[in-house]
Amino acid sequence: MKDGFRQSMAWLHRWAGLLVGWVLFAVFLTGTAAYLRPEISYWMRPELALSRPGPADAEVAVQAMQAMAPNSPSWFINLPDERDTTLRVFWREPGPRGRGFREAVLDPATGHPVEARETLGGEFFYRFHFQLHYVGVLWGRWIVSICAMFMLVAIVSGIITHRRIFADFFTFRPGKGQRSWLDGHNICAVLALPYHLMITYTGLVLFMLMVMPWGVDRAYPGGRAAFNAEAFGSAPPRARAGSAASLTPVLPLVQEAQRRWGGGRVGRVVVANPGDANATIQLVRADSERISYNPQSLTFDGPTGALLQDSGEGLPAAEVRGWMYGLHIGRFAGPLLRALFILSGLAGTAMVATGCVLWATKTRQQAARQGRVGFGTRLVEHLNVAAIAGLPLAMAAFFWANRLLPTGMPQRADWEVHVFFAAWVLCLLHPLFRRGRQAWVEQFAAGALAFALLPLLNALVTRRHLLTTLSEGDHVRAAFDLGLLGCALLLGALAWKVARHRPTPASIRVPAAIPRPGRSAEPAR
Amino acid sequence: MIGLGAALAYAGFVAMCLAMERHHEQVFRTRAIPPRRRRLLAALGWLLLAASALATVAASGWGLGLVLWAGVLTATAIPLSILLTYAPRVALVLAAAPLPAGLALLLSVS
Repeated sequence: MKDGFRQSMAWLHRWAGLLVGWVLFAVFLTGTAAYLRPEISYWMRPELALSRPGPADAEVAVQAMQAMAPNSPSWFINLPDERDTTLRVFWREPGPRGRGFREAVLDPATGHPVEARETLGGEFFYRFHFQLHYVGVLWGRWIVSICAMFMLVAIVSGIITHRRIFADFFTFRPGKGQRSWLDGHNICAVLALPYHLMITYTGLVLFMLMVMPWGVDRAYPGGRAAFNAEAFGSAPPRARAGSAASLTPVLPLVQEAQRRWGGGRVGRVVVANPGDANATIQLVRADSERISYNPQSLTFDGPTGALLQDSGEGLPAAEVRGWMYGLHIGRFAGPLLRALFILSGLAGTAMVATGCVLWATKTRQQAARQGRVGFGTRLVEHLNVAAIAGLPLAMAAFFWANRLLPTGMPQRADWEVHVFFAAWVLCLLHPLFRRGRQAWVEQFAAGALAFALLPLLNALVTRRHLLTTLSEGDHVRAAFDLGLLGCALLLGALAWKVARHRPTPASIRVPAAIPRPGRSAEPAR
Repeated sequence: MIGLGAALAYAGFVAMCLAMERHHEQVFRTRAIPPRRRRLLAALGWLLLAASALATVAASGWGLGLVLWAGVLTATAIPLSILLTYAPRVALVLAAAPLPAGLALLLSVS
């Protein structure tokens, strides 16, 4: 700590990274999977047929909600698009405090709940990556936010520590033990640095009102509604009138919105106080059409359909937040850009993983020099296996559960998640019985096998397997099955690589301190 | 157009690598680079990267184009650093990619 700025930054980088590394690995990997949320959900509901979004979807949804939740204070309806062909609806439960939410997935053709197995689908990975599971939504968000702050600290301190950032820009030297891990860590970190900085910072911005509420609370003591109205141009909520009135048809409003947005699509319908004389219908523009996630919206009077408010782009500060929000969730991204985001997300995952492994490698070498390996080192090594090799295996188990659990089972969607965590807990226990490299190899190999057999299982228990999806032009499901095989190949390659690895003399001769790489590593000419 | 942007970015990174002794050695088996050629390669590298930014911006506008460009830089630099280690000659040959990419673009326009 007293050796100067760069050394103290190296210390900070090492410990900030290690403390939250395992959570960050899970957040990065499931967050990367969340870029494919609609595709995962579609694959996990093999009963669904291909469908195209139509103009009547909003009307169908509103009628379905009137049947399902007539007394709810508010409905949130996500309309289908090319990627997600279901109607996803949420509504607030009626009651004095009305804080609870219910949700359903509807078929846009009929308005009935989709006739498919009960599953969270890609929604699970999406939610897990910012609020975890089992710990409660708020706790999970706080944990992930704090980890994200550590991540930001680790990134900035890592840049300062990395003194050969340009000289080593493209450098990867395999087969040299700790040196190779450091090279790999640097490549994943530096070459995707814009993405890492963006995703970590914007991730924190998404929760800014939760993490740092004081400014807003001070300036708007009356509550968030006034702030929301001013910052985002959303219409102030109207109190219930208490007298009943039926809702106007939605279709003309949707057409009006499309006209005003120059052909832009409606992505979301929010109805407040349905059935009341003071009901409002808010149409929100689809978030796939602009980078900024400050959605344009139109608010109409519920019974008459008169336009109450037209919110365009927000104020500059709100628009900056909207851009950051939009960049993080990447819903504006077409297939190519989404592929680039996924690649960068995987680079981030690899960055965290190599960082954790690097920590363990280095500490073990120091320990070997002193002649004894401490509990801390072994704990880190153990958790590395469970987090890095275990999580992909648990994700495969989640997909297996989706195909194997009986469709009529009560709380089926929950049980898929329980299977995911059960598999992960097994991965946490497994290294207790298998020493060192053996645990890595077995978990990677098991993951590879689980992914490789999924398309086969799919062919055994559903009709939507590669033989039919390819010929029917169901590209999403076909590509998903092929992607599973790709995951299997990747994990298999990792297992093979770890199994084949023999510690070389070079890995023992590597210089001790990380902060001064490159001094002795260059072979003399 | 985005394909051209990626090809240009890759070629730019290769030019930059060839201006660095370690990577010059990986490709040509000698660390010695004449100073003039080194400066030329480095300048060419920056020029090609700038051109690749122009290509993505021309394809998708400023906002989306620059986001795409950042992604393209990552997606070309990571394979390059792996190729340099395992197949340096292939890494060099692929730097000619802007030619077919540009040609394909011209043909599709005309």
